[in-house]
Amino acid sequence: MTTSGSGTFFDGATSARHAVAVELAPEGLRIRSADGTLLGEWPYDDLESVPSPAGVLRLGRAGSPVLARLEIRDREFADAIDSRSIPVDRSGRSERRMRTRVIVWSLIATASLVGVAVWGVPLIATRLAPLIPYSLELRLGELIEVQARASLDTRHAGAAFECGNTAKEKPGRAAFDKLMNQLETAAGLPIPLHPLVVRQPEANAITLPGGYIYVFQGLIDKAESPDELAGVIAHEVGHAAHRDGTRAVLQAAGLSLLFGILLGDFVGGGAVVFAAKTILQTSYSREVETAADAYGVLLMARINADPRALGRFLSRIAGTTHPGPKILLDHPETRDRVAVIEAMSGTAPTRPPLDQADWAALKSICSSS
Amino acid sequence: MTTFDATVPAAQIGAVAPAGGFVRFRGEPRPFWRLLAHGAVLLMFTLGIYRFWLTTDIRRFLWSNTELAGESFEYTGTARELLLGFLIAIAILLPLYAGFFLVALRLGELSSLLALLVLTVLGHYAVYRARRYRLTRTVYRGVRFHQSGSAWRYAICAVLWWTLILSTLGLVYPFAQSRLERFKMRNTFFGNLQGRFEGSGVRLFLRGCILWLIAVVPFGIGSVATVRAVDWSALADAAGGDDLSSWLEASGLAGAMVYAGLTGIWVLLAFVLLYPVFQAIVLRWWTSGLRFGEVAVTSRLRTAQVLGVYARFLLCAFLFSLAAAAVVIPGAIVIPKLTGELDSMPKEIVTTFAGVAAYVAIALGYSAIYQATVKLGLWRCVVESLDISNPAVLEQVTAAGQPASPVGEGLADALSVGGI
Repeated sequence: MTTSGSGTFFDGATSARHAVAVELAPEGLRIRSADGTLLGEWPYDDLESVPSPAGVLRLGRAGSPVLARLEIRDREFADAIDSRSIPVDRSGRSERRMRTRVIVWSLIATASLVGVAVWGVPLIATRLAPLIPYSLELRLGELIEVQARASLDTRHAGAAFECGNTAKEKPGRAAFDKLMNQLETAAGLPIPLHPLVVRQPEANAITLPGGYIYVFQGLIDKAESPDELAGVIAHEVGHAAHRDGTRAVLQAAGLSLLFGILLGDFVGGGAVVFAAKTILQTSYSREVETAADAYGVLLMARINADPRALGRFLSRIAGTTHPGPKILLDHPETRDRVAVIEAMSGTAPTRPPLDQADWAALKSICSSS
Repeated sequence: MTTFDATVPAAQIGAVAPAGGFVRFRGEPRPFWRLLAHGAVLLMFTLGIYRFWLTTDIRRFLWSNTELAGESFEYTGTARELLLGFLIAIAILLPLYAGFFLVALRLGELSSLLALLVLTVLGHYAVYRARRYRLTRTVYRGVRFHQSGSAWRYAICAVLWWTLILSTLGLVYPFAQSRLERFKMRNTFFGNLQGRFEGSGVRLFLRGCILWLIAVVPFGIGSVATVRAVDWSALADAAGGDDLSSWLEASGLAGAMVYAGLTGIWVLLAFVLLYPVFQAIVLRWWTSGLRFGEVAVTSRLRTAQVLGVYARFLLCAFLFSLAAAAVVIPGAIVIPKLTGELDSMPKEIVTTFAGVAAYVAIALGYSAIYQATVKLGLWRCVVESLDISNPAVLEQVTAAGQPASPVGEGLADALSVGGI
């Protein structure tokens, strides 16, 4: 049985190298210099094996502020020390056990993160959105409006982003205002709406915080009656009434926080964050859209227009939109929505919210020049 | 790295390394590859949390296998410290981001400029603090390195220099580097032995100015040509309307696009070919300027070595791309068939999930290849190119300095400005 060997010792006070004789005493290592001076007595349970190149056992004293080091290059002698000291574990078993624990807890943390993202964030955003003062929402809306304009306004057509400002478009704008006035009066919201018709070919409409409603030109082109258009706008007024824009901003901020900051930075992490956000935001939007549909139906009934028109319009554009359509991604399955709208709509007689002449004018609100 | 590798031949053990004045690197590529491959898989499944452990493993490997005058370095940092630093960084950054959000409500567009400035200063601050952490976790012969100096002062100097570098298209880079490196090295200590930096900015400028002329001057000419080719009055006159091609002709945009394309290709080519050359020049200049008291470093690094490192990277990356394509292309064909029965929503989720997983796996693969070829390759050839004069001084150093907090590492990680 090996009971002594040689090594290299650094006392931690200077960088001088000491060739030493190491003795395996019953309670610990006894380190002596060549002339027999005792340089150190290290109890076995205080030993710590520190990072070293392959083939060298490098020992320090656990928790000691002095970085004294003992290097053993003889394999048998290193084995003898290992067998006597519990903290020195060259098989790496305790290190591996620790790592496994880290990995398992990381996976649990990931699961918890996803759980909070799926259920926690929308819940918090829903509770928080009504508490935000309208003054702050208006300010937020102004900022987002600038960004939305910048991202939607492609400008290559050479015409203004906003429809209804040229002489030819003015009657259309008047008709649009007439429609909006009916809806806004019936809705009775605490903040004024800022509806706009914008030159965008898609059949879509969006609502931003602060009551900004963008009706896309493509939507007006595809609508076959004033009731259909009014139905979609009533749905958007529902978003404004429920403060869904603010809620979406809060949700996005919450997700950025969860995924962007807590997850930190690793290669490819950006794609994970982006995909997770897209999928989660899509899943949040389902309930929100259903609620806005319900609001739209009630609002349409209040102005005596046809609430079923929204359902008809939805099923028509859902069938014609291109692959990967926004309206499908953002909206719950169209068939279900149409069924709900049908079920909610009453049987009271309806009349169109705009007469023939106004409707014709509104249809050409984006004719420009 | 704490394990006693059983495969080491007996002759190597026991042979106490000679106390020569040379530097060498003893790390084998194979264990490093294994470390990285293992790390990449765990990074993916722990959504990046494993990175603290991987970083620590990589540093332990590089430090432990770097040998100076017969003794190897020791990295004493731990993954727990890095994790702690990251948590502290979050505690600092979260209120800061919240503050930016509130300022954005008040100031609008201006606030993003402000945020950029604050984050840039903070990024350089983090780099300096992270360097302090790494130095105080570097032990050689039982004595640690440490770093003094104000990180805020460094950050402000660095931001001012980088503003100058960007506004002169890189022309003052050598002078900025020599100044910043002087600051860093003046504040770097091995025990009680103070470091300094003697690399001259003028010398680096003279060595690098040919590269600058080749890469940046054509870029400047190309940019000017692009701008001048555009007839701005025709462009502003939006009457071109629907006829896109005639409008492109009239405004000179078509010509400008050709100029811009040529400039872009030139810059890209110059970057790919000249970057390794540039890096070799900078590395040789930097290492040859390092001093610790009487100890001086000179580097024999050859440009061909650095080019070789990058060539190996490109080869490995190419082979990996082929392998990835062999997996991804059949996958892209099979998955839509398998999910054909599902509704649109679950289908969307399955395809997105598969796509993201493939993307992340491939990105992590490239990253591992980069680390194993470029990072390890450069480390090895730089370390082995070094000559140390007066190494005897290294034997008479008195210990000094205390371990520093890992907060700099955490900030650097959270702001994605990390170094090694």
